[in-house]
Amino acid sequence: MDMSGEYRIPAPRERVWAALNDPEILRQAIPGCESVTKTSDTDMEAAVTAAVGPVKARFKGKVTLSDINPPESYTITGEGTGGAAGFAKGSAQVSLREDGADTVMTYVVKANVGGKLAQIGSRLIDGTAKKMADEFFTRFVALSSVETTTEAATAPAPTPAVALAEPSRGIPTAVWISGLVVAVLAVLYLMNR
Amino acid sequence: MTATGNAEGFGASVKRKEDQRFLTGKGNYTDDINRRGQSYAHFVRSPHAHARIRGIDASAALAMPGVLTVLTGQDVAADKLGGLICGWTIHSKDGSPMKAPAHPILALDEVRFVGDHVAVVIAETASQAKDAAEAVAVDYDVLPAVVSTADAAKPGSPLVHADVPSNLCYQWELGDKAATEAAFKNAAHIVSLDLVNNRLIPNPMEPRAAVGDYDSGTGTFTLFTTSQNPHLARLVLSAFVGIAPEHKLRVVAPDVGGGFGSKIFIYSEEAVCVWAAKKVDRPVKWTSDRSEAFLSDAHGRDHVSHAELAVDAEGRFLGLHVRTTAAMGAYLHTFSAAVPTYLYGTLLAGQYTTPAIYVEVDAVFTNTAPVDAYRGAGRPEATYLLERIVECAARDLGKDPAELRRLNFIRKFPYATPVALEYDVGDFDASMDRALELAEYSTFPARKAEAARRGKLRGIGFSAYIEACGLAPSRVAGALGAGVGLFESAQVRFNPTGNVQVFTGCHSHGQGHETTYAQLVSEHLGVSLDNIEIIHGDTAQVQYGLGTYGSRSGSVGGSAIIKAADKIIAKGRKIVAYRMEASVDDIEFKAGVFKVAGTDKQMTIAEVAFNAYVPHNYPLEELEPGLDENAFYDPQNFTFPSGTHICEVEIDPETGVTQIVKFTAVDDFGRIINPMIVHGQVHGGIAQGIGQAMLEGCHYDEETGQLITGSFMDYCMPRADDLPNFTIDATETACTHNPIGVKGCGEAGAIGSPPAVINAVTDAIGIRHMDMPATPERVWRAIQSTRLPRAAE
Amino acid sequence: MSSITISMSVNGKAVTAAAEPRTLLVEFLRETLKLTGTHVGCDTSQCGACVVHVDGKSVKSCTMLAATAEGAAITTIEGLAKDGELHPMQAAFREHHGLQCGFCTPGMVMSAVDLVSRHPNPDEHTVREQLEGNICRCTGYHNIVKAVIAGAAAMRS
Repeated sequence: MDMSGEYRIPAPRERVWAALNDPEILRQAIPGCESVTKTSDTDMEAAVTAAVGPVKARFKGKVTLSDINPPESYTITGEGTGGAAGFAKGSAQVSLREDGADTVMTYVVKANVGGKLAQIGSRLIDGTAKKMADEFFTRFVALSSVETTTEAATAPAPTPAVALAEPSRGIPTAVWISGLVVAVLAVLYLMNR
Repeated sequence: MTATGNAEGFGASVKRKEDQRFLTGKGNYTDDINRRGQSYAHFVRSPHAHARIRGIDASAALAMPGVLTVLTGQDVAADKLGGLICGWTIHSKDGSPMKAPAHPILALDEVRFVGDHVAVVIAETASQAKDAAEAVAVDYDVLPAVVSTADAAKPGSPLVHADVPSNLCYQWELGDKAATEAAFKNAAHIVSLDLVNNRLIPNPMEPRAAVGDYDSGTGTFTLFTTSQNPHLARLVLSAFVGIAPEHKLRVVAPDVGGGFGSKIFIYSEEAVCVWAAKKVDRPVKWTSDRSEAFLSDAHGRDHVSHAELAVDAEGRFLGLHVRTTAAMGAYLHTFSAAVPTYLYGTLLAGQYTTPAIYVEVDAVFTNTAPVDAYRGAGRPEATYLLERIVECAARDLGKDPAELRRLNFIRKFPYATPVALEYDVGDFDASMDRALELAEYSTFPARKAEAARRGKLRGIGFSAYIEACGLAPSRVAGALGAGVGLFESAQVRFNPTGNVQVFTGCHSHGQGHETTYAQLVSEHLGVSLDNIEIIHGDTAQVQYGLGTYGSRSGSVGGSAIIKAADKIIAKGRKIVAYRMEASVDDIEFKAGVFKVAGTDKQMTIAEVAFNAYVPHNYPLEELEPGLDENAFYDPQNFTFPSGTHICEVEIDPETGVTQIVKFTAVDDFGRIINPMIVHGQVHGGIAQGIGQAMLEGCHYDEETGQLITGSFMDYCMPRADDLPNFTIDATETACTHNPIGVKGCGEAGAIGSPPAVINAVTDAIGIRHMDMPATPERVWRAIQSTRLPRAAE
Repeated sequence: MSSITISMSVNGKAVTAAAEPRTLLVEFLRETLKLTGTHVGCDTSQCGACVVHVDGKSVKSCTMLAATAEGAAITTIEGLAKDGELHPMQAAFREHHGLQCGFCTPGMVMSAVDLVSRHPNPDEHTVREQLEGNICRCTGYHNIVKAVIAGAAAMRS
């Protein structure tokens, strides 16, 4: 399965990239995101509860980022399993392009689903998928286009489920989290195909 | 009133005896059975089309509430159980036997289709088993998969079984290749056609279920299961899987909610339930949910074919050459190898005198659910191919499709076809004539013109089919590779009070045997219907049997009953001769009464039964007491139902929505026992045929092997508003080689109807061919293709 | 998992039983009350084999939690015949051979009875449309449609 999309965000590219790397913004923007845990410099795990059509499951996802080129692009590879609901795996190339005062975010996703997700989810939940994607981007655009800090935007802060320990080397945690967002999105899109 | 004056006998539309319990919720289906101390099984299934199992970690599942055990392929291997088998061995052109890879009841180290059985969790409740199954961690090494039938044997395709090169199970042929090639050299026209016979999912409304039980006191296993043939299940589970010796395994198939072939087969789940019952020393119940049924029930059809028909200048068929690739799925299944060969290639003569036919069939493994017999099994595929190419020939030659068929009809019987069958009897003109009349064919052009004025496309399509059923002469089947006999058995038991219990090895799962068999016995022995009970589906009660499939219950099962009933009459005559002090030769039997010829001395059959069980004045020197007879009947030939189906459709060109405005079926089933039930069988068969032609199609994702038509939301079952009322009639040429004259009616509807529908749809649109199903989208696209200017291509 | 106590009236009898909160009405009927006439033919609320009447209206009992039916009056196929006499709709199904394997039959009959309450004199088209939520694999619907029309006539008289 292949899919791609493009969103225009009324904010400068640096701010969008920063937002893409702000774990709290992302956690708030991803529908159903519960937690993100970094397991190594190159691996993270996340838990997302997704209820789409008749298939409701808590997905545990593993995410790997590569080709990181701030503030323009990265490639994210993810794999999520939802127990009896099945699995989803795939990769997405995400890039940010400046267009006047705006930023255009494009993504190209290649991915597969298996198990009940593929069996039951194939056609039923197309509409839900669009809705969830719109929900993410609406929230993300709102969160990333205002000039406030995360703390101010989200106070009182919920119990942080995100392991924010800054690595001494390698890729910053926030980048991983943003990668996860796309992976989760990929999963959600796929579920909804 | 029937010929013998029996209002409940042969030819009467008696209301069904079984309906009372089904209508009041008192049916007894497998999932309705609950055993004391019962536990529940849930299967862990592969989410991948092809993967190596690196390891299975059941520790988390075992720690969950209520879990009794988790069993895997390793446990099966440790218990030295065998695997599932294919009961029919096909040989390739080169004489080599088909490749039959092992089919373990739980996967050992590799999974080969989405839904393949990996492990089973047994727990106190069904939900606990299901919850724990989610916690069984299986480490898969995902391998490349192939799901496309057409591509499976191509170089570079992933191998389903590492030791089966090119995924080829066998390469079979039938017919005279040289004669067929010669026929093509002399042809005035050659009509060629490529077509796909779409894969179907049987979907009986009752999902499969099994309850395994083990009595440690007697060492006896019992399996309650959704089976069309409990004795065959016992045989396979005993002789091949090795769960228990045959005499220590009882298989009960209670009320079964439809089968259509899919419940002939012996499946992993029933083997596991009965095996696990001993391991946990508790009854073990498994009930498939519909999602599992989609994944793991055997599917049907799935052929890709190229056909060429050689025709002379007048339209006579000279030769037919067919090349077919048939999917087997990931493993061979109970009867799968026989379906695209002896149930397919042998039917390619159809109703026609085509003198030379040559068919080649490559059977391929794919990473999909096993494919096996589904209502019609091979014969719908043959009929679809033949009736489509004949229709194309009519169009190519500019001939009336009915007249072209008539020109080629076989009219002399018996007729030996060039593809190994001998038709005993038939009258193809009779069914064609009657169908044309009922379908009002002569006035079709006016209806087409009228529809055109309303902006609609109207088309009419024919199908003149013949099928072979009444499986099967054991001698012939054995010579062709069958591993079992295909006779049927019956026992007719009179009780001392004169009522009758009839035990049959056939199984009823909608066919109404409890009524039709009772009618047969009533007609033959003159006992009222209320005093006859038909018993089936229990190996502990019925002596033996091969079950119900291939439209065999009337012609084979019914004939066995008649044979046993004849033995009752023969014994009765002897008893009466003794009691009446007459010669046996002078004893006549009619309508339940034995008479001494030319006198008024008589005894009813009930009186004879009483005498047989209370033998105070009885010929003990010559006869044993009792009135209870067994018979085994092995047919001499297949039976050959035939008929003409005509479909008329109207298409809205703006939407592609196709409406069947009239469907006419005139069938020759030989003699008919209960017309109401026979019509019901025809209706259901046609509905499944229309389903195949217009709605149903199983799809696996080509890249990942995921089943993407895995629920009733994506797999389109025919619903009430998809179908018309049907116009049904019958002609009759009685089968010449069984005592009843019946041929079989269970599958004909599904065999005859699909080509009639596609012939009508393509006629309406004005195109040569369209693959099934003719969904609105496909029809709309086809209409657009006829409208687009060529320059746009 | 914790259990809750659920009370309802089933076929005119008051019943109270414990069940897990996630228990579906159809599971409650089949597993807890052993009323096995109501069948389960799918897991996506498509087939209609599980149709019962809840407070007089047809409901797919696989789509409803047992707890949601608290206090409701349920009629299942077992409760349709009165005093050993088939309901006119049941009798019509028998008379017109509207059933074969019998598995979809309970849901089909319960849907048909509800259909007639909404369309007392239905024509073929109405019957076919109204039975869209009940799948039968055996009959091709021809005889079911005949049976429902005849059953409706019998219910009117």
